Amino acid sequence: MGIEILQGIISIIVILGVAPMFAGMVNKQKAILTGRIGAPIWQPYYDLRRLFKKETINAASSSFISRISPILNLVTLITAAAMLPVGFWKPLISFNGDIILFAYILGLARFFQILAAMDIGSSFEGMGAAREATFALFAEPIFFFTIGSISFISGLTSLYDIYHSIQLTNISYEVFIVICSISVFMLAVTECSRMPVDDPNTHLELTMIHEVMILDNSGFDLFLYQYSSYIKLFIYAVLEISFFYPFSKQSYLLGIIIFISGSVGLTFVLGIVETITSRYRMKNIPQYLLFATAIGILNLLIYTFTK
Amino acid sequence: MNDLIDSHNVLFIAAFIIQLLSIVFLSIKNERKALFSTNIVLLIGLAFGLISTLSSTLFTSAEISSRNIFSNFIRLDGLSIYFLFIVQLVAIPITIYNFSYLQHYIEQKRPIKNFIIFYLILLISTQFLVIANQAIFFLICWEAMTISAYLAMVLEREKEEVQRGSFYYFATSHVIIFVLYIFFFLLHHLTGSWFFSDYHILFSTGIVVPIIFILSFIGFGIKAGFMPFHFWLPQAHPIAPSVLSAFFSGVMIKTGIYGILRTFQFLNPVPEWCGWLMLCVSIISAIFGVWYALAQHDIKRLLAYHSVENIGIIGIGIGIGFIGSANNLPVVQVLGFGGALLHTLNHAIFKSLLFIGSGVVCQNLETRNIELMGGLVHRAKYIAIFFLIGSVAISGIPPFNGFISEFIIYTGFFKTANELKNYYPIIMLMFVVGLAFVGGLAVACFTKVNSIMFLGNERKEVKHFHTSIYDNSSLGILALLCVVIGFYPQPFVGVVNKVITNGFVKGNSSSALINIDWLYFTVIFSSIALSVFVLYLIKIKLEKKYGRRTSPAWGCGYENLNPRMQYTASSFADELNTIPKSVLVYHKKVEISETAFPLPSKFESHSKDFIDSKIILPLFNFLKLLVGKIEFLSQTDVRYYIAFILIIITIYSLIAFLWV
Repeated sequence: MGIEILQGIISIIVILGVAPMFAGMVNKQKAILTGRIGAPIWQPYYDLRRLFKKETINAASSSFISRISPILNLVTLITAAAMLPVGFWKPLISFNGDIILFAYILGLARFFQILAAMDIGSSFEGMGAAREATFALFAEPIFFFTIGSISFISGLTSLYDIYHSIQLTNISYEVFIVICSISVFMLAVTECSRMPVDDPNTHLELTMIHEVMILDNSGFDLFLYQYSSYIKLFIYAVLEISFFYPFSKQSYLLGIIIFISGSVGLTFVLGIVETITSRYRMKNIPQYLLFATAIGILNLLIYTFTK
Repeated sequence: MNDLIDSHNVLFIAAFIIQLLSIVFLSIKNERKALFSTNIVLLIGLAFGLISTLSSTLFTSAEISSRNIFSNFIRLDGLSIYFLFIVQLVAIPITIYNFSYLQHYIEQKRPIKNFIIFYLILLISTQFLVIANQAIFFLICWEAMTISAYLAMVLEREKEEVQRGSFYYFATSHVIIFVLYIFFFLLHHLTGSWFFSDYHILFSTGIVVPIIFILSFIGFGIKAGFMPFHFWLPQAHPIAPSVLSAFFSGVMIKTGIYGILRTFQFLNPVPEWCGWLMLCVSIISAIFGVWYALAQHDIKRLLAYHSVENIGIIGIGIGIGFIGSANNLPVVQVLGFGGALLHTLNHAIFKSLLFIGSGVVCQNLETRNIELMGGLVHRAKYIAIFFLIGSVAISGIPPFNGFISEFIIYTGFFKTANELKNYYPIIMLMFVVGLAFVGGLAVACFTKVNSIMFLGNERKEVKHFHTSIYDNSSLGILALLCVVIGFYPQPFVGVVNKVITNGFVKGNSSSALINIDWLYFTVIFSSIALSVFVLYLIKIKLEKKYGRRTSPAWGCGYENLNPRMQYTASSFADELNTIPKSVLVYHKKVEISETAFPLPSKFESHSKDFIDSKIILPLFNFLKLLVGKIEFLSQTDVRYYIAFILIIITIYSLIAFLWV
């Protein structure tokens, strides 16, 4: 019991510490692939430190929602992170049904982020908020069709147990898991506002989703938003890497090695995807998401009937 | 008469007598004083009632026992007491709101004394309805509730929309009572008794029993507002005074749920198709209820559609329970019915909160159109906070009460799949995804409502925003309940579990409901609240150190931003509403002038109810046409009528003669 709590706490510290670096690595990969030198992988830390010391400016019409939303965002994301098996270790929060809490606690963060965007009273933020609400709606089913289907097949309802139920026993199950991991990747791209759904580096407010929602934030508020978006990216990375659990053969050391190499590998994949794709048009994004959902449904049906 | 002397019964009866006594205070001449004293007495009566309900065996640690009083006319078993508790609990804040709400009507010189009388009858008949044990008594209460609600609803009867909406309500109520007559007469025919406690019918006994189930599903389903029968809700709720809308949505439609659960108790165990029917109807109600809500601009109409959604979620729970009952799985039954019952309580709380909140706003702004609202958080901070709590709760998002009941329903799905294997996991997964989708839509809808109503800048100038202590306290009580059930669900889950294990689940009952790790929620939610608080303190400290100021929002270089340039509710929801365009009957009209000197452009978007506009109205127009064909029969001369009567009697006698 004691060692498990210690592992859980270490996991959270790892997520809090490593998350900005992960984002930095993705950007570095992208820079190299497009023939630039790019910023060092520590750049997100420098950015965060800079924001930390800046003056806070709030929009004139903003209310207490704008003040509380960045904090709530960070806290809920840390709570969600505390349910993840980092390095395949038992997380701090793990109980039957935590998969539902995981999905809904991310919903809490989203609820307040949308409200905070609308709090400014500007059309730019409104546009971002409307898009976020729309696309999140189509992203939710993907989560349940992938992680949920593994959960229904194994009969377990805790994220840690679900991932630990994955075994390399027969070929149809392996194919099922591989396709699930692809769906999760597509989900991660959507939820973390990466290409091809959203472009974090675009220069025009009209074309952004996540970035435009935090347009009028600065200082410590922006620090919290940026930090939580790094954490969110890493959360989805962990969801993806955890599919490699069967290779660790239940040894701690092997598990950690696979986890680290998995995260580095994932930055490569993200870097490549972001280099070779361009952002979709806004009206095509629901199709992209429905495609991911359809993969999930088909995958489940094929698996159930070939079993 | 021996049973009446019990100290318990004395309190119980006293509560009703005090509530009735409040009518005496209406004789005070001064309307304000009459309103005040009547409501105070009514509140005391309700409080007495709540105390007597809370001291019953359902809420204490003792084994639950049903009591009959008034020679079996009233029976207090687990289910009755639970629903009585819901009625009384929600009626108290609604009555508190009455104080400030009716002030407005006194200024308008409306007959508020009549309103109070009808409101009182409504309250008392609803309380008796859920504890009635005799079919005729039940029907009398049902009619008293329906008619008094109708009479109270038409307070502003000169408005055309009020006439229209209340007529919808009145007509559907007639259909309901007609179905319920057949329902109870069939039950009487099968069992030879008028008492609920004698109704135990095996489903396999004959063809009549499925008919009973369907009748109950239609009759009570119309009252509850399941999807094909929901059309009266969005017509009746917006035009009713806010006090009544809160009571309708919070309490009255729950009597439909009560009826369905009672029918289940008569028929237990039900076959599996009942469960599937319930699940399919409910998931459709949930998804399209919230989707319709998203397309509305009228706040009270929007909330009425949300009732359809939440009734759908309750129905999903009941459906799971039915499937559990068909397969004789107590675990599944406990989770399904548990989720449904807890959601009934939760919905009663947050829906009346939202209706009261919107009532306060509508009364101050004199409009129900959310496109004309905005920036109210700067006018009434507490109302905004309470409304926000209600919105988060109704979207099923932690840490408030809506999440707890949805969590139980999700767990029910997982358990059903686990216990029944075979093809169940896939179907259950579809329902899980459906429910998650509903959650996503609810988030979109309530972020829209909250942000357009309360955030940003004022779209229409508000001269004076008046809130009274009564508004704030009534909303405060309800918001507190949302928070308490969310943070500390254990006792409430315990009560629900007790209701179900007593009389609902036959055979070995399961403790699946109490075995969920509820403590985790308490710990996680409290630590979230605590860390938000700590971080807020740090933030304030940092802002002191590095500075904080306000400045106008970024307008992309444009300086003269005005409130009309804000994002509107229709543009927020447009993308989502275009997807099921034909179901929502969603129309957009854009007029852009392309002349050299452009005139102002116009844009409007509407959504009509599919069932209402495509089925109900055409059907009745057709009927009207048909009746028009035989209009020549309606004559002014009374002799024609006597001739008609004679002809009819002759035909009847002939039929009867040939029959025998």
